[in-house]
Parts: sequence; structure tokens; C-alpha cells
Amino acid sequence: MKLELGYIYIKDVQFGAKSEVKDGTLYVNKEEIQKLVLEDENLVSCDVDLARPGESVRITPVKDVIEPRVKVEGRGGVFPGWMHKVDTVGEGKTNVLKGAAVVTAGKVVGFQEGIIDMSGEGAKYTPFSKTNNVVLVINPIDNLEAHDYEHSLRVAGLKVATYLGELARNLTPDEVKVYEHEGVLEGYKKYPDLPRVAYVLMLQSQGLLHDTYVYGVDAKQSLTTMINPTELFDGAIVSGNCVSACDKNPTYIHENNPVVEELFAQHGKKLNFVGVIITNENVYLADKMRSSDWSAKLCKFLNLDGAIVSQEGFGNPDTDLIMNCKKIEAEGVKTVIITDEYAGQDGSSQSLADADVAANAVVTGGNANVVIHLPKMDKVIGTLDYVDIIAGGWSGSLQPDGSIIAELQVITSATNEQGYNCLSAR
Amino acid sequence: MVKEIERAGIPVVHMCTVTPISMTVGANRIVPTIAIPHPLGNPARTPEEEKAIRRGLVEKALKALQTEVDGQTIFD
Repeated sequence: MKLELGYIYIKDVQFGAKSEVKDGTLYVNKEEIQKLVLEDENLVSCDVDLARPGESVRITPVKDVIEPRVKVEGRGGVFPGWMHKVDTVGEGKTNVLKGAAVVTAGKVVGFQEGIIDMSGEGAKYTPFSKTNNVVLVINPIDNLEAHDYEHSLRVAGLKVATYLGELARNLTPDEVKVYEHEGVLEGYKKYPDLPRVAYVLMLQSQGLLHDTYVYGVDAKQSLTTMINPTELFDGAIVSGNCVSACDKNPTYIHENNPVVEELFAQHGKKLNFVGVIITNENVYLADKMRSSDWSAKLCKFLNLDGAIVSQEGFGNPDTDLIMNCKKIEAEGVKTVIITDEYAGQDGSSQSLADADVAANAVVTGGNANVVIHLPKMDKVIGTLDYVDIIAGGWSGSLQPDGSIIAELQVITSATNEQGYNCLSAR
Repeated sequence: MVKEIERAGIPVVHMCTVTPISMTVGANRIVPTIAIPHPLGNPARTPEEEKAIRRGLVEKALKALQTEVDGQTIFD
């Protein structure tokens, strides 16, 4: 499977009479976007605002971030199962508005949405301070049930990302990146001496607004399975999550999965990238056992030498992570796990809820409990009403002067467990 | 908490869904429960059935409390 990603670099975003891309600037027609979002009868208002890198702007409560893309050649369309019919994607050509993002905001649960600061201390921690953001602040009808609101918000974000992506359909990309996966047998023939490595991608699927979708299917209803890595780049995996902001995987990061990108970069050089195994993080112990058994079975089935396992969220998913690690290692396949830590504000507590000696190669996204001070921003898109109750905040987090003292946890993607974050020990 | 109470000489049954974590933290008597969001009930069942589930689990826990164990034990 071969996919060409055509990057059209976006350096600015502006409102305009017509939605279009001109000389690296994304112009958006506010009314068209509002109309699109408000097609949904469950939604009553949609404020569209823009946030650019370096501005004194705070966006909160952030639900999801999505990158606008469009399929220009090959089967299917982006976000299959949502914006396009179910059809296998990952092949052909896809254009990307690189440097632009759609950010959805609204209070689904309040404590599990996040903060994006476009400048200052907070901007250092979120990858989305570097994108030109089209922000949708969306309010539902009275008494809309939280799951229905989450669904509406999720679809609204995908719709606007698809609408903006369409603007790139006939543009000539500034840069083209080619990703090719030969398939298991061909890969083995081509690189018989290279270590066989797969990526085990864990998807949050605890339910109660902690859900991820694959081609429209709720991941909690699926057994561990395989997906072609290029399918991710076409939006095959969509976030429906309300979990701690720092370590949920927004749809944007699924579209730009850095583990997949790096494995492609090393494919044929240091290793043979065999494929991607997707597994879930359910709330029944039997599901955890079954799914991790299945991950290990597939790793063995593929005759792997190594597997990289990434997590989403924390707490009981730490057990899914450790089960995957332990069982895959027991099949003779070396693992590296990618997680983050809740080691307390001073960093001295146990980092994960579960542990095992098999987890002897661990990459961390950082300690989510570290306390940070975010300066006041001149403009707030959304509302500061939930800062005190957001996971990582506390009563009094919002200071009288408009600054915020809270744990790193409050910042969207600050400790991302696919490594799409900004923290480094280097 | 389980360990500290046991350290004070009082036996403890840890009722929980994710028994591997309970094993990792060192509980001695572990009774598996239904699911993480609803350990002692099941909203898919009727209130009468839920009551029976709760009673069954509590009785199992009380039995476990009276059972001598030799190391960490899961009472399935």
C-alpha cells in the first residue's frame, strides 16, 4: 500500500468572504462553517474564532484537535465511517493543510477537557500552539445528554476539518511525502536480515465518554486487530475521548502518529516495519485479558522480533499496557512501551498503577503532575469556568489576576503517549 | 490502604475489578468485581438482580475474610 501525502504549508489563518487557501494563508468563511455545524439539531450555537502561534490567546475547554485533509486519489475518503462511506483508505494521494488545525471546544464533562495557550509558558507544552487554529466553541440544546453532545461535537469537528481539507483538493503540494508498506511477505523477502518490528497501538475504550473509533466502529466492541499504517494518515482512527487533556490522543495525532512515521523512516534501514496492531483498553477484566492475549498472539503470528506499545490515558489502562508488555515479551518478542507518569507533584511516587519486570524498556511522555504557572492571556476563546475543576486543576487554580496554577495535566497533549509532545530530557 | 490496615493486624479483602493491580500492590485476599465504573453492580440488570449480585459479592468477601491464605489469593 502506497500513500503520498501532499503537504500544503499554512502559515496564517484569516476570516474571508470565501474559504480558500492563497499563498500559504487559510481564509475561512465564518458563516459557512457555522451553517455546517448547526445542521445538527442538537447544537444551538457555534462561535468560530481563530488562534495563531504567538498570540496572547487561551483556548479552553478543548475537546479535540483535527487536521484538515482531503483524499485526492485512491479509494475512499478521509474519516471513513464518518465523513465518507466505509471503504479502505490509505492508498493513493491525500493532501494536507499542514500547519492548520480545527479545535473543538465546549463543556462535555468540564473536568476532562483541556487548555491550549498560543503563547507564554503553556505554549511550550502543547504542540497545538504551533498550528493556525480554527476554533469552534459549540453549545448544545438544553438538557442534551453528554454522550449525544460528545457525538455532535466530534462530528462537527470532523465536518469542518473535511470542509477545510476540500480547499486543498486542487492545490499543488509544497512537499510530498511517500509512505509505502509492502505487506508482510514482500517485506520479509526484501529485508530478510532486518529485525521485524510492529507497533501495538492501544486505543482508549473505557466507555462513559472515553471512546475511540476505527472506521466508525467503537474500539471497545472490537477484538485486537491489524490495520495498515497508511490508513491512519487518512483518518481511519478518530478520537471521541473525554480523558485527561495531557495524554488523550486527539484525532490530529492519530492522523500524524509519530511512532508510525518514525517506523516508516527506519523501514528498510534499521528494521522491517511489519505493521500496526490496534488494541483497546476496556473496563472489564475479561476484556483486558482477552485483548492483551490477542496482541501477544498477533505479535507471535507475525514472527516479530520487537514491538513498540503505546498507551492512551492512565490509571487502569496501565494494566492493559503492562499485560500487553508482559504477554508479548513472554512470546519472545522484545517490547518498548510508551507511557506517561503520574508520579506526584514532587515526582517521588510510583509512576504507573501497575508494573512488571518485563517492562524494562520504557519511554515516558513526562510527569503529568508537575505544577506549572500559566500567565494571563489577553483573550480567552471558550470559557475559564472549568479551570478549577479540570483534571490537574484544583479549587483556586484560576488566580485572581487571570493566571493559572495547575498540573501539566491540564494542557492538551502535554505528555502525549505517542510522543507527539514537546517535553524532552535532552 | 489495604497494606496499612493489614500491617495493623486486621485482615483485609480487596474487592476490585483490575485484580492484576491488586496483586502488584500486594493485597492478600482479592475478590474480583464486575467492572471498573460499577464494581459492585451492573446497570444492565434489574434492581433485583443487582441486589443479588451485590449480596453475592459481599458474602464472597466475608467468606474470603475468614479463609486462611498462604500468600496472595484471588477468590474467583
